[in-house]
Amino acid sequence: MNVHPRARDYTQSALGKMIPNESELTAGVKIEPGKQYGFFTDTTVCIGCKACEVACKEWNNLPADNVGLTGHSYDNTGALSANTWRHVNFIEESGGKSVRDNDQNPFQSGWLMMSDVCKHCHHAPCMEACPTGALFKTEFDTVVVQQDICNGCGYCVPACPFGVVDVSKADGKAHKCTLCYDRLKGGLEPACAKSCPTDSIQFGELSDLQARAKRRVAELHDRGVHTAYTYGTPDGPGALDSPGVMGDMQYLNAFFLLTDRPEAYNLPAAPTRPSNRIAPALTAGLATLAGLALAAVALMAGGSEETHRGR
Amino acid sequence: MDDRVDTALRDGYKGAPNRPLPRSDSFHDANDPVEPVATSRERDMPKRPGWSGPTYYGRSQLKAAPFDPWIVGGYIFLAGLSGSSAVLSNLAELVRGKRAADVGRRGRYLSMLAPTLGSLLLIIDLHTPQRFYNMFRIAKRTSPMSIGTWILSSFIPFAGLGFLSQLGADVFKLGGLSRLARLSFAPAAVSGAGLSTYTASLLSATSTPYWAAQPKELAIRFAASSIASGAAALALGAKSDSNRRTLETIGAAALAIELAATVMSHKTVKAKGVGESLKSDWGKTEEVAALGLGVLLPLGIYAATRLRRRKPTAANDLAALATLVGSAMLRVSTLGIGDDSASRPEVSLRFSQPENLPPPRRR
Repeated sequence: MNVHPRARDYTQSALGKMIPNESELTAGVKIEPGKQYGFFTDTTVCIGCKACEVACKEWNNLPADNVGLTGHSYDNTGALSANTWRHVNFIEESGGKSVRDNDQNPFQSGWLMMSDVCKHCHHAPCMEACPTGALFKTEFDTVVVQQDICNGCGYCVPACPFGVVDVSKADGKAHKCTLCYDRLKGGLEPACAKSCPTDSIQFGELSDLQARAKRRVAELHDRGVHTAYTYGTPDGPGALDSPGVMGDMQYLNAFFLLTDRPEAYNLPAAPTRPSNRIAPALTAGLATLAGLALAAVALMAGGSEETHRGR
Repeated sequence: MDDRVDTALRDGYKGAPNRPLPRSDSFHDANDPVEPVATSRERDMPKRPGWSGPTYYGRSQLKAAPFDPWIVGGYIFLAGLSGSSAVLSNLAELVRGKRAADVGRRGRYLSMLAPTLGSLLLIIDLHTPQRFYNMFRIAKRTSPMSIGTWILSSFIPFAGLGFLSQLGADVFKLGGLSRLARLSFAPAAVSGAGLSTYTASLLSATSTPYWAAQPKELAIRFAASSIASGAAALALGAKSDSNRRTLETIGAAALAIELAATVMSHKTVKAKGVGESLKSDWGKTEEVAALGLGVLLPLGIYAATRLRRRKPTAANDLAALATLVGSAMLRVSTLGIGDDSASRPEVSLRFSQPENLPPPRRR
C-alpha cells in the first residue's frame, strides 16, 4: 500500500471503535444538531504553545504556510490563511518597537498571546456575500465552505471584516476554519480546543460559553485586571462605548476575552455588516441613472424641436 | 522560599514600585486598598473615538480582494458601457424615432460588449473557472455578486436578440428585422440600468475600507461614469450633428455629476480615515487617468467647442475617447485603491471605529 512512512508509526486505536459522544468526556458537552456551538478563547490563560495550530493542521491535513522566521516576536505563522485556521498572536507591549523589555510588569501585562480563529459570525458577511451558496450555516450554527460548490470567485475574502477567509492558490477554492464540522458530526470536540493545554480555547454550547465568559470577566475584574472584557458577545446597553461592538452582526460564535484594545490583537474595534450597504448603493446609483436618463429625454426632445425650427 | 521571590515580594517589581502584587488576595490584608496598576493599556482604553495606536507589526488586518483590478475593472467598465448604451439608445429611438435609428443601431452593437467580453472577463477572474455555472445555483439578495449575475443574465437575451436581428437587418436589408431589433431591445434598457449601477454595491458591500466608506458616493460616480461612457461611445459614430451634440451634452452632464461625486467621495473617505489610500500609486492613477483625462479634459473640450459653435471635429472624438479611457480607469483604480486600503492595517483599523458605524437600527 502507498502509505507515507510516517503514517506507519501510528497503529490502529486500541479501542477498535470510536467513543460515542466523546465530547462529553473532553469538553463536558454533548454535540447535537440544532444547537449553537462555538469557541470561547480566553487570552488571559493562553501560553502561546501553538498546540492549537498544530492540532488544526494535523486534523485537517493542512500544509505549512511559512517555514521561516518573521521577526515578529514568536509569531512565525503570520496570519490566518487558506492553510492556517488557527493563528497565535504574540503581542510584546513593553520595550516598544517589538523589542522585549527586561523589566516586565506583573500579570502578563506586557506580554499578550491570543489564538485567533474564524469568528463564525452570527450574521456572517462571507456567507451573505457568497453568490454560489457554497458558504452555509451548519446544523451546529457554524459557517462552513462547501468545497464541491465553491468556484473561487473570491468575493467572501473582502467581505470578511476580520481578514479570515482566503482563496487557496493550490486549488482555487475559498478555505477557512470549519469549526471541525466533521468532528462535530462524529461527536468529537474540535481539534484545537481538545489540544489546548490551558483551556484557553473552550468549546461548548454558545449560551453556556457566554455565561462562562461573563463569570471569567467578573473574576478578573475582582483580581485587579480591570481591562478584561469580551469581544464578540451580544452588545449590551451603551455598547458603543465599549470596545468590540459587533453592530448588526450582533455576536460571534467564536468570541474572545481580551485585556487590551481590539486593535492590539489586530481585531477591528467596530466591524460592520457589509450587506447593509447594498440598499444605499443601489438606490443612489439608480437615482443618479434615472436623473441622467430624464435629462437625456429632455435634451433629446429639446434638440429635436431645434432641428424642426431649423428646417 | 526562593530568595528572588522573597526580594520581589519585599521590594515590589520595578514596573510598579512599592505596590502590592495584585495577583491574589492572600498577599495583602483586606484593609489594604488595591490600587489598579496603571498600565499603558489602561490609559489608552478610554481614548475613544479615534485610534492611532500601534498596529500588529504592520501586518494587514484584512485580506485584499483576490480580484485582478484590470480584469474586474474592465468588466465593470464594459457593464457600464453596455448597460448605459442600451438605456440611451432606447431613449433616443423612443424620443427621436427614425432620426435616431443610427444611434439605436450602435446601441445594439455596443450592448453586446458586456454579455460577450464582459462575461468572459468574469469567468477568467474566477479561481475555479470551470465551475462558473454554480453562480446560477441560487439567487441571493444579500450578495451583490448574485444580484449582478441575475441582472447580467436578464440583459443577455434582450441584448442578444436585439443584436442578432440588427445584424440580420444590416446584412439582408430587411425592414421587418429592424423593427424586431427595436422591440426586442427595449427591455434591455431596464436591465441595462441595473447593469450600469449594481457594480458600485458589489464593491461597497465588502469590508474593504475604501469601498465600504462611500456606498452612495461610489454609486453616483459609477452611474454617472457609465452614462458618460455610453454617451461618448454612441456620439463617436453618430451620423447627424444634432444627435451627436445631444449625446455630447448628455455626456457632459454626466461628467459634471461624476466630478461633483468625486469631490464628495474624496471628502467622505478622508473623514472616515481612509484618506491615506488616496496617496497610493493607484490613488495617483485615479487622479490623473480617471479625473484628469476622463473628466476634466473632455469637459474642457466640450466647453471650448460649444462656445465657438463649431461643427464636431477631431477634438470631439478625442473628448469621447478620453471619456471612455477615463471611465475604464476609474473602475480599475477604484479596485486598486480598495486593495491598498485593505492591506494597510492603520487604514482598516482606523476605519472600523465605532464612530464609523451606521446609526443603530430597530431590530
